[in-house]
Amino acid sequence: MTQDADRPTPLPSCPVPGGGTRRRDVLSTVIVGAGCAGACALAYPFLDSLNGTKNTELGEDDLIDVDISTLRPGQQLVVTWRGWPVFIQRRTPEMLASLRMVDITQRLRDPDSKILQQPRDAVNWHRSVVPEIGVLIGICTHLGCVPSYATPSPNDRSGKYSCPCHGSQFDVAGRVFKDAPAPYNLPVPPVTMLSATHVRIGQSKGDPDFSIASIQQI
Amino acid sequence: MKRIFFPAFLAFLATGICKNAALADTPQQRGFQVYRQVCSTCHSLDQVRFADLSGIGLSVADIKAYAASRQVPDGVDDDGDPKTRPAHLSDLIGSPYPNEAMARMANHGDLPPDFSRLAMTEEGGAARIETILRSYAPKPADLVLPPGSYYNTAFAQNHIGMPPPLHDGQVKYVDGTAATLPQMAQDVSAYLDWVAHPHSMERTHIGLGVLAYLAVLTVLLAIMKRRVWKRVKGTGS
Amino acid sequence: MNEPNTPPTGWLETRLPIVSAFRREYVDFAMPRNLSYLWNFGAFATIALGLLIVSGIFLALNYTPSPTEAFSSIETIDRHVASGWLVRAIHMGGVSMLFVALYVHMARSLYYGSYKAPRELLWLTGLGLFILVMIAAFAGYILPWGQMSYWGATVVINALNAVPLIGPSLASWLLGGEGLGSVALHRIYVLHFVTAFSIIGVIVLHVAALHVTGSNNPTGIEPKTAEDVVPFHPYYTTKDGLGLCLFLMVYAALIFFAPDLLTLANNYAMANPLVTPGDITPEWYFAPFYAILRAVPSKLGGLLLSAGSLAVLFAVPWLDRSPIRSARYRPVLRWALLGLFLAFIALGVAGMHKPTGFWLGVSRLGVIYYYLYFLVLLPFLPRVEIPRSLPATLRGEGA
Repeated sequence: MTQDADRPTPLPSCPVPGGGTRRRDVLSTVIVGAGCAGACALAYPFLDSLNGTKNTELGEDDLIDVDISTLRPGQQLVVTWRGWPVFIQRRTPEMLASLRMVDITQRLRDPDSKILQQPRDAVNWHRSVVPEIGVLIGICTHLGCVPSYATPSPNDRSGKYSCPCHGSQFDVAGRVFKDAPAPYNLPVPPVTMLSATHVRIGQSKGDPDFSIASIQQI
Repeated sequence: MKRIFFPAFLAFLATGICKNAALADTPQQRGFQVYRQVCSTCHSLDQVRFADLSGIGLSVADIKAYAASRQVPDGVDDDGDPKTRPAHLSDLIGSPYPNEAMARMANHGDLPPDFSRLAMTEEGGAARIETILRSYAPKPADLVLPPGSYYNTAFAQNHIGMPPPLHDGQVKYVDGTAATLPQMAQDVSAYLDWVAHPHSMERTHIGLGVLAYLAVLTVLLAIMKRRVWKRVKGTGS
Repeated sequence: MNEPNTPPTGWLETRLPIVSAFRREYVDFAMPRNLSYLWNFGAFATIALGLLIVSGIFLALNYTPSPTEAFSSIETIDRHVASGWLVRAIHMGGVSMLFVALYVHMARSLYYGSYKAPRELLWLTGLGLFILVMIAAFAGYILPWGQMSYWGATVVINALNAVPLIGPSLASWLLGGEGLGSVALHRIYVLHFVTAFSIIGVIVLHVAALHVTGSNNPTGIEPKTAEDVVPFHPYYTTKDGLGLCLFLMVYAALIFFAPDLLTLANNYAMANPLVTPGDITPEWYFAPFYAILRAVPSKLGGLLLSAGSLAVLFAVPWLDRSPIRSARYRPVLRWALLGLFLAFIALGVAGMHKPTGFWLGVSRLGVIYYYLYFLVLLPFLPRVEIPRSLPATLRGEGA
């Protein structure tokens, strides 16, 4: 329509008195600043909602008791703890012996478990509460795949873990070999031996203050 | 500045609640005690988690003890039969019955209503619940009630399917309050009000902050707008 | 363009002149100098819609569209998701605030004749937006799968079924065949999303149309001289900003201090296909149309009347034969229009009550006046009405 053609071009408005400009600048800065602060505050509930239903303050004591009476030497059992696969193995004397063989320990990155990947009561040559029973969280410290367990065979009586994703190798106590990408030993969860046939995962008698969240890497 | 204000403010609120708890039990806490010992034998809390109870100022240890006393379904055992385990904090409080059919069977075919939003869906809210709990009375001799119903003056038809749930001294309050029926009815309705509106306190506090902020901004913008428009008005008239 | 000493140059400007375009459309843009605060409501609607879309995205991250899980996923958002109750409150409050803004915005257009040439497309795209918002609001209300969600959906789908020819097909496409269940809920969820994002597209058209014709103003006469206009910034940025603060205060008061006003408590009971709640009332923003639906004792008739009440709005630019835009200079229409607004509000109140006796009478009178206004008064009033004299210029008009 013709009205558009009639539309005048906008003109710069009336001159601004000099003193007014200065004061308005302060005021507009304050308003823009307050507006931005308000927008940030508004973003808070939206971003906070991305945390979902996680309630870290209350802490979750996830305890599971596992019956290992049917676990035979050389075998391992996989249970789920906090959504992670946990390997429970009953070690044979040959497996235990392999853990202390110098030609093997030389090839390990952290043979003495110096890096915090286990509760204090598992900082020992067998990385467990009792030598015969090993408990490991089965998540490769490289990029999170689940290592597969090679059961002891006549050729290799020590047993070991190898990660299918990028070839990281761990000995049967979850200690990582040097010539592979994974940087740390497999994590050991807090474990209490309730009896010879029952293991409690989630609570460590020898290190009661241990929190799995504090380890180097899961 | 607003950004850190919120979490700090929430933390302040949380400590405020905890401090109160140390002094005396709140009506909600006493109401929870009644719920735990009386109501929860029939009524469910399907949407509320054990952990949520920290909202009325219960300590983590108390909540853990309560959770551990309740069994929740835990898949099947080695024989394929359903099994249970003690509840975790993140579990829903849920129903005392394994399923709706059993709940109906135990209650003359009626389903005891879930408590999660009862103070919202019940017309009249928590006050109405308190009234119902206090309106049981001995049945007039000449009145014939349908089987499985109880005389209650809060209803137009003068009866309700729920047997009188509360009587004096039924629970022993931890804080020493005398557990009279009116007291318990009041406490339970306070608890159910919290259950139905778990964030009402936070809501009010954040709301006041937001309104204060907007009020300040309104004043600033009003000054600014007046200053800007003064120029036009000056030439216009 | 009015500052020749800073010509648009630079790397970005030569490739994509968004900076100068923004300057032209939102800084230097010529606005009539006499707009009242009623001209703020378009900005309010935009802000409410923006908040709805953002909060909707964050809600969608925690929502599960299935009949067995939808209700508990909403409960989880309300109770357990960090700040979830606040995100949901912003979303629920946003709907009401958006409808408030839209109704005022439309009423203002009707009063000041903002739909008349050359702004017909502005009016039509706006009506398109309104209908999309209604569809999105309806679909969104079903998602929590409470009692009101379920029965509201049932009623509307049955109404859809009664539409001749296309109705059964539309209803069947929405339901996916097997009644109001899992498939239907999933479709409604997708519909909610798709309409929400379509709205953004139509807003672009609406705003583009606005920037071609420029804003109307309370006098209804076009600005003619440079004295009649002021640049958008800082004049209307400050005015919109101030209005927006007040709008947000109402919004905040609603979600923080009156959250129960927004919801029907029945929707906090999970959908039960075996029990219809005692009183089904629509959300307030649908109430006038719901009242029209029930005003006549005929299924098809009620549908036609309520669909017609929207359809007639599309014809408004051509029904109104008066050359004068603003009702300010039309002494008779002014009162007729006031009557229309009252009739619409009365219909809304009637829609929240049972359609018997008094309220049925109110609905019927409301419907009659609604149609009378658009089909009789609007086209024929100019023949008898003597308009007041128009001002020559916008100068001296209240700023």
